Amino acid sequence: MTGLIAIGAAMAVMTGVGAGIGIGIATSKATEAIARQPEAKGDINKALLLGCALAEATAIYGFVVAVLIVLFLK
Amino acid sequence: MEDFATELMSELENKISFIIPIFGGIPVPTAVVATWGIMAFLMILTLIFVRNLKMVPKGPQIYVEALVGFINNFFGEILGEEGKRYIPYLGTVLIYIACANLAGLVGVTPPTKDLNITAGLAFMSIILIEYSGIHEKGGKGWLKSFVQPMAILAPINILELFIRPLSLCMRLFGNVLGAFVIMEMIKIVIPAVIPVPFSFYFDIFDGLIQAYVFVFLTSLFMKEKMEEYK
Repeated sequence: MTGLIAIGAAMAVMTGVGAGIGIGIATSKATEAIARQPEAKGDINKALLLGCALAEATAIYGFVVAVLIVLFLK
Repeated sequence: MEDFATELMSELENKISFIIPIFGGIPVPTAVVATWGIMAFLMILTLIFVRNLKMVPKGPQIYVEALVGFINNFFGEILGEEGKRYIPYLGTVLIYIACANLAGLVGVTPPTKDLNITAGLAFMSIILIEYSGIHEKGGKGWLKSFVQPMAILAPINILELFIRPLSLCMRLFGNVLGAFVIMEMIKIVIPAVIPVPFSFYFDIFDGLIQAYVFVFLTSLFMKEKMEEYK
């Protein structure tokens, strides 16, 4: 049973894959944008940070679910 | 794994520091005591730094003015002229969350690891967001904003009332909790030296970024509520 719980928690943490890919793409595009237009750096940084915060939220939800699985299923 | 789970569970519990012996005893959680500590700390700093203010800044006054200028600029750019009145609140929350996340460095359990604290902050944020909308457009305009851009989106707009504070609250809590759990795991595997750089990342960098993101999102939502739909 413990093994199954561990597998369940691991699957919940897989949400991190999506967040990682999303933040990676966002950052690469932001770098391109800054290289093309360095004077718009401030605005690009703000948009990037907002996007990263929203993308990261999915990973956080997955993590919270995984912790809850580990703690409350015994 | 069983041991680790029980250990985590005991760390996650919101411990009670002491009980106020009136009305049959009011329990005071550790997070509240830590918050009082942060309030006292900020209050003392304020009292020290606002003494002998001069027209031409000198010494520590330069740093204080730089901080206030940064906060005013940052929120002023997002909120615009009509949102200037909310800057002091947002700045206070920014400073409080930053201090709370950094409290782990001096050995105090960060208050933001308690879900009740982050839920309270998120609740205040959503009230401020809706209030700013009502103040700017009036009650009728605020109600009308729920059926914009079209009436069919009304359920989603109403759901947003609950989703926004929930995601603000869970984002802050989850990040602080995640950093905490990972640090505990690293300390179990390698107790010396290696945790230090990780602590720099998780405690300092992540804590400050999260404080920034929390107020940034709050002010963005406020701006969205305040501006007329075109």
